[in-house]
Amino acid sequence: MRNTNTLGRGLLLLVIGGVLGYGIGLGIDLLVSGTLNFSGSVASAFGLLLAVTAFFFGLYGYRGITRGLVWQVVGTLLGGFFVTGIRALVGSPTIFGAFFFSEPAWVFGALVGVVSFIFGVGVVDDWMKWARGIDTPEHHEDEPGWGKYFGVSLDHKVIGIQYTVTALALIAIGGTFALIFRTELAASQLQFLTTTFKLFNQTGPQIFNTLMSLHGIMMIISILLGISGIMNYVVPMIVGAHDMAFPRMNAFAYWVAVPASVLLLMSLVLGGFDTGWTGYPPLSARAPVGMQMFFLGVFTAGWSSILGSLNVIATVVRMRAKGMSAMRLPIFVWASIATSIIALTATQLIGLSFQLVMFQRLFGMGFFDAAKGGNPVLFQHLFWFYSHPAVYVFVLPGLGVISELLPVFVRKPLFGYRWVAMSSLAIALVGFTVWAHHMFTSGMNEYLRVPFMYSTLLVAVPTGVKFFSWVATLWGGKIETPTPMLFVLGAILVFLMGGLTGPPNATVSTDLHLHDTYFIVGHFHDTIFGGFVFPFFAALYYWFPKATGRRMNEFWGKVHFWMMTPSFFVLTLGMMRVGLLGMRRRIVDYDPALGLDASHLIMTIAAFLIGLSVLIFFINLFYSMKHGEKAEGNLWNSRSPEWQVPSSMYVHNYKVPFEVVGEPYDYGLPGSKYVEFMSEKKH
Amino acid sequence: MRHYVTVGILVIVMTVLTYIGLNSAGLMPLAASAQAGPIDRLWNLEMITISFLFSLIVVPMVYSLVVFRRRKGDTTDAEHVEGNTRLEITWTVLPLFLVMIFAYLGSANLAETRRVDPEAMIVKVTGIQWSWKFEYPADPATGLTVVSDELHIPVGKQVLLRMTSMDVIHSFWVPEFRVKQDLVPGRITELRITPTVEGDYKVRCAELCGTSHAYMEKPVIVTSEADFTAWMMEQLALAEELAATPEGAGQLLVSANGCAACHSINGAPGIGPTWFGLFGSEVELSDGTTVVADEAYLAESIRAPQVKIVAGFETQLMPTYGFTDEQIANIVAYIKTLR
Amino acid sequence: MTQTHDKRFMLTQGVFIFIYLAVLTGLEFFIAVAFNAVPLLVVVALVKAALVAYYYMHVYKLNAEHEGEEGSYEYKSGTNRLGLWLFLISDSFVFGGLMIMRVNLLGLTRPELNQFLGLGVTAVLLISSFFMNRGETLINNGDRKGFLANTAITFVLGLGFLLGVVLVEWRLAIEEGLTPSSGPAGAAFFMMTGMHAFHVFTGLILLAIVWLNGRRGLYDQKNYPVEAAAVYWHFVDVVWIFFYPALYLIGTVIG
Repeated sequence: MRNTNTLGRGLLLLVIGGVLGYGIGLGIDLLVSGTLNFSGSVASAFGLLLAVTAFFFGLYGYRGITRGLVWQVVGTLLGGFFVTGIRALVGSPTIFGAFFFSEPAWVFGALVGVVSFIFGVGVVDDWMKWARGIDTPEHHEDEPGWGKYFGVSLDHKVIGIQYTVTALALIAIGGTFALIFRTELAASQLQFLTTTFKLFNQTGPQIFNTLMSLHGIMMIISILLGISGIMNYVVPMIVGAHDMAFPRMNAFAYWVAVPASVLLLMSLVLGGFDTGWTGYPPLSARAPVGMQMFFLGVFTAGWSSILGSLNVIATVVRMRAKGMSAMRLPIFVWASIATSIIALTATQLIGLSFQLVMFQRLFGMGFFDAAKGGNPVLFQHLFWFYSHPAVYVFVLPGLGVISELLPVFVRKPLFGYRWVAMSSLAIALVGFTVWAHHMFTSGMNEYLRVPFMYSTLLVAVPTGVKFFSWVATLWGGKIETPTPMLFVLGAILVFLMGGLTGPPNATVSTDLHLHDTYFIVGHFHDTIFGGFVFPFFAALYYWFPKATGRRMNEFWGKVHFWMMTPSFFVLTLGMMRVGLLGMRRRIVDYDPALGLDASHLIMTIAAFLIGLSVLIFFINLFYSMKHGEKAEGNLWNSRSPEWQVPSSMYVHNYKVPFEVVGEPYDYGLPGSKYVEFMSEKKH
Repeated sequence: MRHYVTVGILVIVMTVLTYIGLNSAGLMPLAASAQAGPIDRLWNLEMITISFLFSLIVVPMVYSLVVFRRRKGDTTDAEHVEGNTRLEITWTVLPLFLVMIFAYLGSANLAETRRVDPEAMIVKVTGIQWSWKFEYPADPATGLTVVSDELHIPVGKQVLLRMTSMDVIHSFWVPEFRVKQDLVPGRITELRITPTVEGDYKVRCAELCGTSHAYMEKPVIVTSEADFTAWMMEQLALAEELAATPEGAGQLLVSANGCAACHSINGAPGIGPTWFGLFGSEVELSDGTTVVADEAYLAESIRAPQVKIVAGFETQLMPTYGFTDEQIANIVAYIKTLR
Repeated sequence: MTQTHDKRFMLTQGVFIFIYLAVLTGLEFFIAVAFNAVPLLVVVALVKAALVAYYYMHVYKLNAEHEGEEGSYEYKSGTNRLGLWLFLISDSFVFGGLMIMRVNLLGLTRPELNQFLGLGVTAVLLISSFFMNRGETLINNGDRKGFLANTAITFVLGLGFLLGVVLVEWRLAIEEGLTPSSGPAGAAFFMMTGMHAFHVFTGLILLAIVWLNGRRGLYDQKNYPVEAAAVYWHFVDVVWIFFYPALYLIGTVIG
């Protein structure tokens, strides 16, 4: 179907759909509860869902993402009514709940909604055919233009962009939530999130808890999607493959993240949840229905991470170019492998830990309920067994980007390539042994804290290897600093701060003071900005020309960097300072007597500046797609194979395959080549 | 060669400057416990190390950016240096040693903060959404225990806090004392504190525990031993006096169990309905019906809070405290006095 | 056409491996009843799992020497094989986590369960693996009829296991007072058997798919999907090899 809808039409329909949905929701709520709840959940939920669906409909028509969303809504309703019907038949006392459906109905409905989305968007069509014995063509041709990004594509480059754009969308939403609560925190005492303020059936402090929790998890999911975006886009082309090993599973892994994000946003209007992204029971066992949407949303997003990493490993093991031995792999591929090993395995544990709480809520299974003989601390063990290695998932790709880009802009080999490659694996392995350092005050066996302190401090060794190698790479080089390189340097600096503030948390006695304070918040914002955010921007500025054949504006790129970096320093140093002085985490308000008001105001201003710099980035990104300066050749003069062919790439990457004939980073070695294309070879 | 010398000197200078900078930022609150001593010492050592390592990386980086910048017009690559195995081994093994030393120091330091005084006074701590309850050792003479929502402790003597939670996970933390410990439902966790500086502090919950987590705080008063004993005597006398009447006993229960975290006694709005003028008034419930707040209603609301929920408070969960019938009657008697 | 040993050899091997598994299961039951020696039970479970992983799941195929040109069916099957095993490694972490939960909550105690029933469903599942192995060997040698017959038996036995657990075991447990909400033993029992049953259910779906497609003649030459369904089925069996002693045999009854 030829698609001629425009952005304008999409936005118009967004408004119409939103108003219509809001009205419908208001009506349904009126029927069920007998009152007009203008700021209630049902109206908002319908408004939100219909607005988003109508937007895509206006933009793209009834197919792909639009069809997925419509089916998700329908599936959720059907699933919800199904359980409601059963409860009515069985004679349950509460057929409906505070949010129209009862909690079990919402959970089942949401699950059916996710499955319906997957079928509706069409990403399992080929598999369904195979199950019936019908064969399908290996490649699907994508429609020209931007339409292909809103539907199912099997091209890893399209999927990589889909992942990246979705990640940026989640960053925007999660970041906005942060700006909202940072505004409240700018001064002590409650300014607008007061106990009398009510939205979505939550008071001001409850909204704070929900927004703060959603900020955390949406940023985390955006990181997982962002790294999947970079890995998906880059890995096949950098190893010389025409696509990922399993293109349909690649598409599936992307598309499953969309309904997952919808679920997370649903939690906002279904009473929210007040546990932070860590979801500890017993609090999470008694939180509102929104808690279940959070659990199910994360569970679903976990599938994206697991299947995506499976694909990366299979691709690297099975689809490399001839001559690409282990020690001739691009360093980013080593980072991707290490990341994928963690994501493939550990992710299952967060799914399991959340599943156990979900079942505790639904069926009274007392895993973590002390009154039923359960163990609250067990949750923490299961949860952190994933969530600590997860942070290495967050940063290893970014650290790989740093290692990958430095040689290009320094014109020197990556110092100690083998050691750097092994350090990624070492970080991944050691990272599995440290999880209980999040639990030093939890009440777990006191002596157990010491081995975890040892293992945690041990991670510093391979991480140090990376830092020293980066410095040694820079030393004696011929350095240029276009925007991607600025972000690489910023990443090193910020990640250094994050890494150095690790040991005080690792030593148990000091951690007793630091745990659950803003010092920790400062530490992880440092490590995440240094290990993901800065490298992510570096990667985007760097590979944007490869994807589009144009480059992003250099001036505004530099503005982005110089606005974000000092602001970020102010923010994290502020966070660490207030944390040391007594500011706890996850609080909507703090005691004026602590004397932290000025620091908080400065932090809020810094946060807004960071937000502004990201906005500048977004504008630069979207503008440059159509109007950026043309850059179709080897813009950065890189030795890497993808830069040896013109931008943007041929649909199956390389018209002529290449063979690896040298080392990847032999800058400065006269006459050396990394790859040779088969057409060049003399037969 | 001169590059290395210059960088070396700059690293030392930067280390000193960074350390001075960190120290002068006034980062730690007053150290008011014996446990704070070792922690602050280890923290200081860590600050020195951080200053050094920070400089060790940043100085060569910035130096390179200045000195090894590409000259205008030069389009050649840099010198082809792949690595240096000796250097790699050094900067793997040396940090390994450093890390093991720190882990050992950390371990010794932890042991120091956990020194046990067998004569420590035991205070039972209970965390409830969103208040603290402290139970002092029973008075040998009368057998009465003081139960308060304030923690009074004598300076210079170790106190052993034996803690549990009634509902969700909370955490006990006074920044000036440094040490922190979670309160977990279904088990007892312990924390030993030896206050060294008299003063008024605050304990604030340090584990997200719901809507009013930010406000879950109570006073911690460190006084001389004599003043502490005086306070205990005063509290015991008050308890004895109040215990004589039902309203008084109710008032004791109310202050001990932190009801004020949600219910005001002066009409101010809060997480739960105010008690001021409550008895005998008409109450609108969430299902639309209206009831009179008589003794039976009040008693039921304490025993089974989820049965009747006041309109406007549907999203707030009042915990079940497990009071006896007599305790409930006393609390109701107390509420009746609030008009 | 997949490289196979002589068909007779493989079928005979399948029988012997099954006999070893059956003997080990009996031994396991005896050790549990007579000594309740946890380390021994762990060792027996590990041996059983290794036998299934090596002989039924032929994990060594991951290291195959001659896999054909890149882009060939053989090479692609090799990639698919790697993908499947990566998925199974990932899935093992779920079951590992469930084991950790069981050990943490129950320690050296266990729920009171019907041993006859436990041994019965275990036998049914092990026998189903035997028939699955036969079916896969037969299709590897071009025997469509044999493949269909044995896979059908596998399906029926698998369904028998599922119904045995969900309809009989669960009902019996609830009647005896062991419910999902009765305490940690109930919670652990229902969650572990439930998650395993879910995987049996999905395994049955995969079996049905390959059976129907096999009937259409799709696997007479290229039969990797059969291998995939079989390996997944054996994996589900391996999980039970660990879950069975964990729930039925190890520890003293708390009731």
